[in-house]
Amino acid sequence: MKSFINFTKKEYMEHFRCAKIFILTGVFILLAVMSPLVAKFTPVIIEMLSESMSQGGMEITVSEVSAMDSWMQFFKNAPIALIVFVLLESNIFTKEYQKGTLVLALTKGLKRHTVLLSKAFVMITLWTAEFFMYYGLVYLMNDIIWDNSVAENLTFSAVCWWAFGLMILCLCVLFSVIAKTNIVVLAGTGGVVFASYLVGMLPKIDRFMPTLLMNVNSLIYALEEVSYYVPALLIAGGISVLSLVLSIPIFNKKHI
Amino acid sequence: MDMLTIKNLKKNFKDKEVLKGLDLCVPEKSIFGFIGKNGAGKTTTMKTVLGLMKPDEGEITVAGKKVVFGQTSTNRYIGYLPDVPEYYSFMNASEYLRFCGDITGLSKEETKKRSEELLELVGLKDEKHRIKGFSRGMKQRLGIAQALLNKPKLLICDEPTSALDPVGRKEILDILLAVKDETTVLFSTHILSDVERICTDIAFLNEGRVVIQGKLGEIKSTYRTDEYIIETETEKEVAILKSSFPHLQLTGRTTLTFKENQHDFYDVMHFITTNKLPVLKIERVEPTLESMFMEVVQK
Ligand SMILES: Nc1ncnc2c1ncn2[C@@H]1O[C@H](COP(=O)(O)OP(=O)(O)OP(=O)(O)O)[C@@H](O)[C@H]1O
Ligand SMILES: [Mg+2]
Repeated sequence: MKSFINFTKKEYMEHFRCAKIFILTGVFILLAVMSPLVAKFTPVIIEMLSESMSQGGMEITVSEVSAMDSWMQFFKNAPIALIVFVLLESNIFTKEYQKGTLVLALTKGLKRHTVLLSKAFVMITLWTAEFFMYYGLVYLMNDIIWDNSVAENLTFSAVCWWAFGLMILCLCVLFSVIAKTNIVVLAGTGGVVFASYLVGMLPKIDRFMPTLLMNVNSLIYALEEVSYYVPALLIAGGISVLSLVLSIPIFNKKHI
Repeated sequence: MDMLTIKNLKKNFKDKEVLKGLDLCVPEKSIFGFIGKNGAGKTTTMKTVLGLMKPDEGEITVAGKKVVFGQTSTNRYIGYLPDVPEYYSFMNASEYLRFCGDITGLSKEETKKRSEELLELVGLKDEKHRIKGFSRGMKQRLGIAQALLNKPKLLICDEPTSALDPVGRKEILDILLAVKDETTVLFSTHILSDVERICTDIAFLNEGRVVIQGKLGEIKSTYRTDEYIIETETEKEVAILKSSFPHLQLTGRTTLTFKENQHDFYDVMHFITTNKLPVLKIERVEPTLESMFMEVVQK
């Protein structure tokens, strides 16, 4: 436990001193601010466009903007947030392999599973903090500008998205103990998501695929019950745990 | 007691045989020079001792305990300095040692006390900058400090002096000499003058096997085929000497050499004195590790 805390401290120190944490927070805040901003100004822009177009005989009607539009924007930007997060964090293992920095720590008796769990812990806590900050900010702004009551199941939808991100991170860990380079980690994780997306296009199976968790529009419009999403949520959780559990023996046998 | 024993170690990379049944014994409290040319397999050997690399065959023990690949508990007896040590460059030297201390299970106070001692020993006490800006010599010295942190029984250094200038090399060698009472030192090198300077024991690695091993002094005397050089005043004496001692070899205009097993040194001396031959110089040549190394490698 002591070495877990110690190694985790090192990871956080690295995130601060290499400015990673500031970059991540900056990006997440930017995306958060964009959600209501885009929602608010899209109609204005369209209106300006339609004015010039109506002279050419085209009629465009602009509907009233509500918190709903901002939330749609929030979930539209969530993949960008996740991709940025993964791009920045996916080298958390491979950077150490390439530089050889783990060699000294391991030969000093640091347990390999401590390294693995600590890194997973850091990724998960960071993702959780950043994502819910993103969610909180948008929630706050939407409440001030409009009214959040038009959207249903907001927190649950956000949790769905968060869980999807969590699964991606755990897959990153798994591919990081298999692969040596960052590219393979990204390709592997991306490959699994793509496969899940393809399988998700089949009817009947689609609701068991974690990629379902990315499409929460029917949740906030209350077109679908919360229970519809529970299996996918559980499966994402299962894959996360499985990835971590599987990583440990693989990491123990890795040439470092 | 032997601090480290390696028996019949074999390691292939794909179809390339690097270690072909290497045997090695490092006695306690020795400074052991592990000598081999580039690509001989020194680093490979050390990595298997540390459980960082899985051997194809063979058994390794450290302080009497078997080395297991992966989760290597014998590493708690070992301090290791890799050939190119890599640190978390966003830390400074004392932060890094604190990080290492926690890992090895030293208490906070012990770590603090030991770090200060060691930073003093390696001359990095007043260095407050991050490791990012360290020179190779500084990194090498920090490497020794981190390796010695938990008072290891065995200190393994992979070519600690190869990248350094003469001053830096001397500093590192002095540090190794200074710790020899506390720990057994195994270091690999191809710089033979370093070996002559500090080693008590040596092993030559060639073609994946240890070809010579033992106490430095004993090896030198075993392999000693004493050679003598005689320099005469003129070519006339050379001719006289050669007629009586046919094995004398002419290596210069007035320079002759011979080996102990070819002619008895005192016979030659006697001949010179009875015939009152004028000589400029008579010299006994010490065998160098260099010549031994060359001989071994060429065989
Ligand atoms: N991971 C690896 N994959 C393939 N071949 C390797 C690997 N590591 C080492 N080798 C090969 O094994 C041989 C021995 O390498 P090693 O690094 O042990 O030599 P060395 O004695 O330490 O040399 P040097 O003095 O240059 O450090 C080399 O020919 C090298 O090409
Ligand atoms: Mg080497």
